[in-house]
Amino acid sequence: MRDDRLEAKREAATLDEPAEEARNLAERLGLDPYPVRYWVVDHDEMNELIAYGGFQHRYPHWRWGMNYERQRKKDRHGLGKAFEIVNNDDPSHAFLQESNTTADQKAVITHVEAHADFFANNDWFGLYADRGEDGPNAVARLGRNADRLAEIGRRADVDREEVERLIDAVTAIEDTIDQHSPVNAARDGDAIKPTSDGDDPREELQAKIDELDLSAEVQGDVFDEEWLAAQESGVEPDKPRPDVLAFLRDHGKRYDSETGKAVDREPWETTVIDAVREEAYYFAGQKVTKVMNEGWATYWESVMMGGEGFAGPDEFLTYADHMARVLGSPGLNPYKLGFELWTHVELQAARRDVVDKLLRVDGVTPETFHAEIDIDEVIDTLQPHPAIEGAGPAMLDELAELAANGDPRVDAEMVDRALSVRRGDTDADDGPDIEQYPWKLLTYEGLAERHYVLARPQHRRALRNLSRSTLEERARYMFDVDRYKTVADALADCDRTAGWNRMYEVRESHNDVTFIDEFLTDEFVRERNYFTYEYSQAGDEFRVASTDAADVKRKLLLQFTNFGKPTIVVLDGNFKNRGELLLGHQYNGVALDERQAKATLKRVFELWGRPVNLATIRTEYDETELRRAQRQNREPEGTEVGVRLQYDGGDVTEHDLDDTIKSRIEADEVDYDTKPDAWLA
Amino acid sequence: MGLPEDRERFRDIGEARREDLSEFISHGDLGGSGPNQVRIPIKIVDLPAFEYDQREVGGVGQGEDGQPQPGQPVDPQPDDGEEAGDPGEEAGDHEYYEMDPEEFAKELDEELGLDLEPKGKRVVEEVEGDFTDTARTGPQGSLDVDEFFKRGLKRHLATDFDESYVREGLFVDGAGVDAVFTWAREASIPVSRAWIADTAREIETERGAAIESVARWPDFETLEVEVDREPAGQRIRRQGIDTVPFRREDERFRHPEVIEQHERNVVVVNIRDASGSMRETKRELVERVFTPMDWYLTGKYDAAEFHYIVHDAEAWEVDREAFFGVQSGGGTRISSAYERVEAVLEEYPYSEWNRYVFAAGDSENAGADTQQNVIPLMRSIDANLHAYVETQPGGTTQNARHADEVEQALGDADNVAVARVTGHDDVTDAIYEILSTEDTDP
Repeated sequence: MRDDRLEAKREAATLDEPAEEARNLAERLGLDPYPVRYWVVDHDEMNELIAYGGFQHRYPHWRWGMNYERQRKKDRHGLGKAFEIVNNDDPSHAFLQESNTTADQKAVITHVEAHADFFANNDWFGLYADRGEDGPNAVARLGRNADRLAEIGRRADVDREEVERLIDAVTAIEDTIDQHSPVNAARDGDAIKPTSDGDDPREELQAKIDELDLSAEVQGDVFDEEWLAAQESGVEPDKPRPDVLAFLRDHGKRYDSETGKAVDREPWETTVIDAVREEAYYFAGQKVTKVMNEGWATYWESVMMGGEGFAGPDEFLTYADHMARVLGSPGLNPYKLGFELWTHVELQAARRDVVDKLLRVDGVTPETFHAEIDIDEVIDTLQPHPAIEGAGPAMLDELAELAANGDPRVDAEMVDRALSVRRGDTDADDGPDIEQYPWKLLTYEGLAERHYVLARPQHRRALRNLSRSTLEERARYMFDVDRYKTVADALADCDRTAGWNRMYEVRESHNDVTFIDEFLTDEFVRERNYFTYEYSQAGDEFRVASTDAADVKRKLLLQFTNFGKPTIVVLDGNFKNRGELLLGHQYNGVALDERQAKATLKRVFELWGRPVNLATIRTEYDETELRRAQRQNREPEGTEVGVRLQYDGGDVTEHDLDDTIKSRIEADEVDYDTKPDAWLA
Repeated sequence: MGLPEDRERFRDIGEARREDLSEFISHGDLGGSGPNQVRIPIKIVDLPAFEYDQREVGGVGQGEDGQPQPGQPVDPQPDDGEEAGDPGEEAGDHEYYEMDPEEFAKELDEELGLDLEPKGKRVVEEVEGDFTDTARTGPQGSLDVDEFFKRGLKRHLATDFDESYVREGLFVDGAGVDAVFTWAREASIPVSRAWIADTAREIETERGAAIESVARWPDFETLEVEVDREPAGQRIRRQGIDTVPFRREDERFRHPEVIEQHERNVVVVNIRDASGSMRETKRELVERVFTPMDWYLTGKYDAAEFHYIVHDAEAWEVDREAFFGVQSGGGTRISSAYERVEAVLEEYPYSEWNRYVFAAGDSENAGADTQQNVIPLMRSIDANLHAYVETQPGGTTQNARHADEVEQALGDADNVAVARVTGHDDVTDAIYEILSTEDTDP
C-alpha cells in the first residue's frame, strides 16, 4: 500500500540542504532567527492549520470549523493560495505546501527565516516572549489552554454551550487589551492571581476602615454595602482603563436570568476568560507588526533569492512570478507597503551616511554641494569592489589577497578552505561549495557592500535629488566639518553597512504605527501615487479624496492604530452608582459601526452581569440639510452628537450623552476625515 | 476535540441559526439552491467587535498609473495579503446551511407533520449478490478450491493410517495377523486385514520366523505406551499433498446469489399554466410550492426523474431552468397538458414507477375542458398523486373554476389533492395539503 506520506517525506528530504544553507546565509546577512522546524504538509493539513491560526491544538470552538469551511472553499476555487504558514515560537514551526515547486519552497524558506528573526528580535513580540516563561512557549501555552477549556466543557456540572458563549463574548472584545503593556506577568501555574492592582481591594479597604476604630453600628451605617461596592470598582475619571478585558475579568459578574441578579462568577469562568485573554496578548504582537514583518520577510527573501541566487538559474522565472504575485495584488498590500518602506529605511540611512561624509569635505557646504560634487563620480566610486561583487571561484585569488591584508569584508577562513579544495588538499565534499554559495566567502560587511543600495541603478536618483533643505538640515547640527581633504577621502570612509544597521535597529524597536509614522515620508507617498478615499453621500460611492502626503499618512495610521479598530476604554465601573459599566469610545472623528457595536455590547453584558453602557459620538443629519445638499450636489453637513447606548439584557436603548462624558471621549487634535471641501461630483 | 468536532459544532450553530423551513419556503431566497442541494441562509454567524463604520473610515489606495484626481470613483478593495499567519477577519454575512434532499425531506416531515412512505415498485432489478451459492458445474474460474481440497482430504483421511505403527503391532510377542487386526480396528485404525497379512508375510520372509514369534514388545499395551502414533496432519505434510486424491466429483463451483431489489423510484411531472394571465407573482408562488415538493420527493425516493410541461392552449415539454419563467400569450386548455402527460408516462408503467402529477395555474380553463377532458384524464392516468394548485393572488375570477370542479368531481379520491394559494403564507399549507393526501393510503 502506497504511503501517502512518502511524497511529503521525499519532498522534505530535498529541502534539508536549502533549509540549512538558508539559515547559514541568513546569519551571515546579520539575521538572528529563532530556530525553525520545517514541515511539509498537504492541502488539507494546510487548510486546517490556517483555520486554527497556525497551530494544531486549540480550544474547542465553532469558529475553527467556520474558518476551515471558508478556507477550503477558497482553496477549491484556487484563491488565496497559502505558500506557507509559520508561527511565532521558539523554536518556530513552519509548514510548507507539498504542492509548491522547489523554487517556491526555497523562496518560502528564506521568507520564513526572516520572519523567525523578526519574531525573535522585535520588542513588541518581546512583550509577550519576555514574560518569564522562557520565550513565547506558544505551542505549549495554546495547547494547555486547549486541554483546559476542553476539560471544562466536558464537566458534568458545566453546560458546553455556556463555555462557548463565554468564549464568544471574550473573543468579541479581544482587541480591547492594552497592547502596549505585557500581559499580567503573575502566572502561577493553574492558580489565578489577582490583578497587578494589588490584593483584594475590599480587604484593603476594610483594613483602612478598621483603623478608624468605629463602632460596628456606625461602620455599618456609614460604610454600607453599596458604598463599599462602589469604591471597589470605581475608576478615576481622568484615568480611563484601556484594558477593558482585564477590568471585566476582575470586576465583572454573571447575570443569572432566573433570579434577575448579578452573581459571582464560577472559577471555571475566570479560567476561560484568562485563557482567551492571554491568547489575545500572544497574537497582539503579530497584529501590531503586520506590515513591518511581512515587508521584512519579503525584503530578505529577495536579497537571498534574487541577490544571492538562492534561486538557481532555472528556478528564477518561477521565483519572479512568485514575487510578482505576492507584490502585485491590488489594494493595500502589506507585503508591498512593508517591502517598500524597508527599502526606504535602507536608502535613507545609506544616503544620510554618504551625505554626512560629503558635507565634511573641505569646501563643501549645502550651498556649494552640487557644484563641488560630481554625483556620477560618487556613484561610480560607491560601486562594490569587483572581487566582492563577483565573489566566487573566479575571484578566489583576489579575495585571498584581500584576506591576506586583513580585509573585514572577506571570510579569511572560508577562503583558505576553498583554496585548499582547489589545490586538492581537501576533498570537495568537505569544503565549502563556493560555486553554488559564493556568499560563504564574504562577511556581513562584504555582503553589505555586495548589495549596497546606493550602487543599484534604480536608486541612483536618491543622490541626485538631494534638495538644499535636506542638505541644510543635515549640516545644521554638524560638528567636525572640513575633516576630509577630498571627496575620495570622504567616500573611502563611507559605511556600507549603514543601511542594514539602521534596518536592524528599526526592526527591534518599531511597530507598524511608529514605522509608518517615521518612514512614510512625503517623498515616499508622492513617488508611489498613494491616495485616500472617502465615502460620498452625494454620489453614494467611494471617491478619491486626497493625494496629500500628510492625509495619506494619517489615513494609513488610522488603519493600524489600535489594530485598526476604535479605541474603547472603561470610563466608570460604577456608573450612576448602580454598578453599571460605562465604556467610552475615544472618538477621533470616525464613528463606530453601530450594528456591530450593539451586538458587541451584548457580549460585554455577558461578562459584566449588570447593565452596560457605551458612550460614543455620531454624526446626525437634518432632513432639510440632506435635501438641500442633494439639490446642490454636495456633501451634507451634519452635527456631531453624543449618544449613550445601553444594554440590560432586554433591548439596546439609546440615551442622550451627558456633556462631561462627551468631552472626555472627544479627541480634539486629530481629524481623520480627508474629504476635500469641494468634491467634484 | 479537533477539527471534526469543531466543524460539527459550526454546522450545529448554522442549523440553530438558520431560517426554519417554513420561513425559507414561503419567503426565503430559493435562488441559492439547486435540484440536489438545498442552501438555506443563516442569520449572520459572526463574532462582532467594536469596529469603525466602513463608510466613515475611508481608506488608502495606490494609483495604478499616475496620480488619481480627487473626486474619481474608487472601488474599495478589501484588505489583502493573508498569505501567512492569521486566518483573517470573520466578516460572515453570507453563510448558508447546506442540506441534501434527504435531510430536507426528513425535516419537512417533522416540521409539517408529514409521513410519506415511499413505495418500492417492482422495477425488479436482479442484482448479483455475494458468491455464496454453489453448483456442481461451472466455469473453471469459479472453482471453490477450499471445498475441493477439503473433500479430497477427507477421502484421504478415510483411508490413511500410520503404517509403521501398525507394522510395529506385528512385533508383539505372540501376535498373529488376526490379533493385530483386532487391535488395530479397536484403535480405529482403518487398515485392512489383507494389508496386515501382506506385511506379516514380508516380515516372516525377512526374519525367517513365524510372525507370532517375532517379538519386540511383550504386549500391545506396552507398545501403545512406548510408540507414538504419527498424527495424520503431520503425515500428510510430510508426504506432500500429492498424496491427497482429488476426484472430479469433488469439484464445486461458486455462483452469485440473485437478489431481487425493489427500487423505490419516482417520476414527477410538473405542469404549469403559462398563459398570459399567469404573471410574475403567480409564477413565483408556483415555484415556491413545486420546488420544495420536488426536493421532498428527491429526498424520499432512491431515484427520481422529473418532467416539466408548460401549456397554454397547447402543451410542450421544457427543462427545469425554463419551467418557472416561461410565459406565452395564448388562451388556456389544460387538457393539452394531460394529453402530453399521458404520452410521457408511457415510459413509466405504473407497475414499475411511483408517479406524481402536479399541476398549477389560476383555475382558468377553456369552456367545458375541465369536465369533458381533464377530469376523465385524471381518472385514467394512474398515479400515486394528482394535484392541482390554484394560484390566485388578488382573489378569484369569475371564470376560474377549474380547482372547484376538480375538487367536486375527484375530491373523494385517495390520490387527488387540490390546494389554493393566494399569498406567501399559504405556501406551506398547500404543500402539506398535497403531500399529506397520499398518507391516508392504507
